[in-house]
Amino acid sequence: MDIRKVKKLIELLEESGISEIEIREGEETVRISRHSQGATPMVYSQAPISMSAIAASVATPAAPAVATPPPVGHTVMSPMVGSFYRAAAPGSKPFVEVGQRVNVGDVVCIIEAMKMLNQIESDKAGVITAILVENGEPVEYGEPLFVIE
Amino acid sequence: MQQRYPLLRILADGQFHSGVALGAALGMGRSAVWKHLHALAEWDIDLHAVPGKGYRLARPVELLGHDLILNTLPPTAAATLSGLEIHQDIDSTNRYLMNKARLGAPSAQVCLAERQQAGRGRRGRDWVSPFGANIYLSLLWRFTLNAESLTGLGLVVGVAVNRALHEAGLIDAGLKWPNDILWQNRKLAGILLEMTGEISGPCAVVIGVGLNVRMPATQAIDQPWADLETALNRPVSRNQLAASLIQHIIHAIQEFELHGFNGFAQEWAQHDLANGKSVALHLPNQATVNGIGRGVDASGALLLEDHNGVHHYPYGEVSLRLMP
Repeated sequence: MDIRKVKKLIELLEESGISEIEIREGEETVRISRHSQGATPMVYSQAPISMSAIAASVATPAAPAVATPPPVGHTVMSPMVGSFYRAAAPGSKPFVEVGQRVNVGDVVCIIEAMKMLNQIESDKAGVITAILVENGEPVEYGEPLFVIE
Repeated sequence: MQQRYPLLRILADGQFHSGVALGAALGMGRSAVWKHLHALAEWDIDLHAVPGKGYRLARPVELLGHDLILNTLPPTAAATLSGLEIHQDIDSTNRYLMNKARLGAPSAQVCLAERQQAGRGRRGRDWVSPFGANIYLSLLWRFTLNAESLTGLGLVVGVAVNRALHEAGLIDAGLKWPNDILWQNRKLAGILLEMTGEISGPCAVVIGVGLNVRMPATQAIDQPWADLETALNRPVSRNQLAASLIQHIIHAIQEFELHGFNGFAQEWAQHDLANGKSVALHLPNQATVNGIGRGVDASGALLLEDHNGVHHYPYGEVSLRLMP
């Protein structure tokens, strides 16, 4: 099934009060559930043991906003599963610090998955009031990274 | 500096050229010619100077040619490209296209360079990029897919580069997760993908490929490496190779846009160096995991088996070391 279609379904689930949805299309079946990680067909649901504890404590893939109460202000969220980096290279100056003013389009961090480095740009101008993830830690899709006020 | 490249174009044939002839061709005096010849050392280019004969390069070099590459491409691939730039000397082809992407450059642009001053690997590592020796290629592609849908793309590009190597005659290169290309356990090519875009909207990806073709032995490289001419034991045309890489990468991207990573999983597995081997995986949070390589899943995440079963590792900040 097309990943875009799966994504749409997840969005649908999130917007509604439904806790589980199952779609059959020809021979393919997809079931998306808010709660059970094992039943979630998202490709990254079977996180490695060493990381699952961290990942699960932060957010479930299907409903990230529910797991972490959003702090006041604008939240910059992770567009993908990956590792969170605050600087371009180990030992380099971090892109941003708490208290720093950022403009729209400023790079605030890098998320890396399978050697694909995603330069995350701020989608809001303001002051960074919180950095919610430690450097080098794994992040989930939709996980809050920064708070900007 | 501006005269250095025209000078190299004359010398590229590896024949002797007298200082007088070079001066006449470039419209400068002999001392100016000498100064420019001397400056070639800055690009690590070896020059022979023989009294009575003149100057020649220690080895002839095939410079990259815009039209040559375009004419070698199949018409469909050439028509897909929105631009092909060749730079003699650039900081980094990836950085250049990332900047262009931010300024709104259209999809399907290629940037090649003869030399990179600051060629990059991942996380600030250097990619050694001497003049005229290898391929330093970047391609900007705009996807309508969002970032989360693109995670297998790096592996797809690895498959595409391996296809180009096959076409060049190298059939025994292997893939090391996620997308290094090794020959006899030495690094032959590296791939770096950089991405920018809105959180859930379309994104621009710059795909960088560094492929060693004729790496001078004098270069200091901090890991075992190989180059294509050594692997094939014959000279390689960089223009043909560049065209082949462009063609295979574009084709693979288009395939990926339609069908995702699934269509590549089998081919990837065929060339997976870690499959069935004992490997150590270094995680971004400094932990190390040991296991047996079991290929990749439908998203491209690495599968490692330990006594608890098979685990998926999608996270990119890992390095995979083949254990003896």
